Amino acid sequence: MPGRRQPRRAGDSLELFDAAPDSNRVAPREPVAARLESDAAREPESEFVSFGEYPGESKRSAISVSTLTQTAKDVIEGAFIPLWVRGEVSDFKSHRNGHWYFCLRDGTAQIRSVVWKRDQRGIPASPDDGMQVVAFGRLTVYAARGEMQFSVAKIEAEGDGLRRKALEITRARLEADGFLAPERKRALPRFPRVIAVVTSPDGAALHDIVAVVRRRGANVRLVVVPAAVQGESAPEELCYALDQVNRWGGADLVIVGRGGGAREDLWAFNDERVARAVAACHVPTISAVGHEVDVSICDLVADHRAATPSAAAEAATRSRAELTSELRKLSFRFSSGARGLLRDRAVAAKRAARDVRAAALQQLTRRQSALGTVSGRLHALSPLATLARGYAVARDANGATLASVGDFRPDMPFELVVRDGVVSARATPGAPT
Amino acid sequence: MTFEQRLARLEEIAGELEADGVELSQALALFEEGIESLRAAAAELATAEARVQRLVEQADGTFDVEPRE
Repeated sequence: MPGRRQPRRAGDSLELFDAAPDSNRVAPREPVAARLESDAAREPESEFVSFGEYPGESKRSAISVSTLTQTAKDVIEGAFIPLWVRGEVSDFKSHRNGHWYFCLRDGTAQIRSVVWKRDQRGIPASPDDGMQVVAFGRLTVYAARGEMQFSVAKIEAEGDGLRRKALEITRARLEADGFLAPERKRALPRFPRVIAVVTSPDGAALHDIVAVVRRRGANVRLVVVPAAVQGESAPEELCYALDQVNRWGGADLVIVGRGGGAREDLWAFNDERVARAVAACHVPTISAVGHEVDVSICDLVADHRAATPSAAAEAATRSRAELTSELRKLSFRFSSGARGLLRDRAVAAKRAARDVRAAALQQLTRRQSALGTVSGRLHALSPLATLARGYAVARDANGATLASVGDFRPDMPFELVVRDGVVSARATPGAPT
Repeated sequence: MTFEQRLARLEEIAGELEADGVELSQALALFEEGIESLRAAAAELATAEARVQRLVEQADGTFDVEPRE
């Protein structure tokens, strides 16, 4: 109603649009004709108005400006249902109060348009001047200025321009904060024991992931952390679920994603808040969004991007067959290592035995030749050699050599040792010399 | 010992067995340990089974992991 408006400063054209959205709402009120009459009745100049005269029909029944604009507001706003309008955006301004103001125009006409702050949530990004758009909204009248204004709730640009713009903005912001740097990517654990799966508990993604993990016989626990993956609440729910994974602390890998769908169904995974929540995960992350070649913002931030949820499950786990073959390889390395070790030892032992034998032989030869020398010398010194030359040795009964006259007594028996034997002999009686 | 730790230890043992200059008695001990570990790992693999659970946050902020119905 006109009386609710605050007085405005002149000369600040933007103030024109300061009106809160609610003031544009049509409040239930008395029928237009009735109000025109009562309004006219209140006019100081209208004391001569005669009943039956149409308000404003004569000078005497002239209505006020506010009645005129308010009536226009009632009539126009009542006549139009919300509708889609096609046009080009110009003079776009984002006011400090958060509302967006622009003109929507075609070749011959234009209309002032506004997107109230609270209606901007469903719009990916603000439109740029020159963009061809279709805008959905209500035609409203700003009674205090007597102006029409198109109050827009949805905008779509040609070629999905607004979404592309939103993606570029988000991407640039994440890049500026270093979230897309390749060196930020963490390696996935080789053998995750507990994998948190942030997705819809009823979605195809979870079904696919469970099927792949079961088929591979992977020794792993999948812990589902439920979150809506599409719709208005999806970004917040995804952020919340990712935060839960951090606070829980029981997982050593996170898979976040959903199965394929229409582009707008995948939009939550392009949300900057979700991307930041993925980047804030304490453990490595795999992003698996849809089945398309399109890369989501989440994919860019995650440590690993999988094209599908099934591919994510394959990247996260190692199959029983794979591990069995790895064990087999290890077993082979063991036996060949041990065999090699034993072979080396055997060769060394054989070589040692040969060396010992050779050394022993050498020793033996040396001893033998020494023995020969000694025996030669022994032989040279042998009394037998003297005997062989014809000498004899006299020995008494005890074997003691009788070498001097004094050794003999008269009639004493003794032996003579000659070259080839022993001869018994006796000294002549009474003949000492 | 987790499967991962076991596998790491097995790699280590294989490396030592392949290296030069390991004592024969030491090598035998390593070999025995390796074979034992291999057997345990293979047994673990054979009984491996994926489980699917669901994270549930309690009112006091603690977490439960429940079987998924």
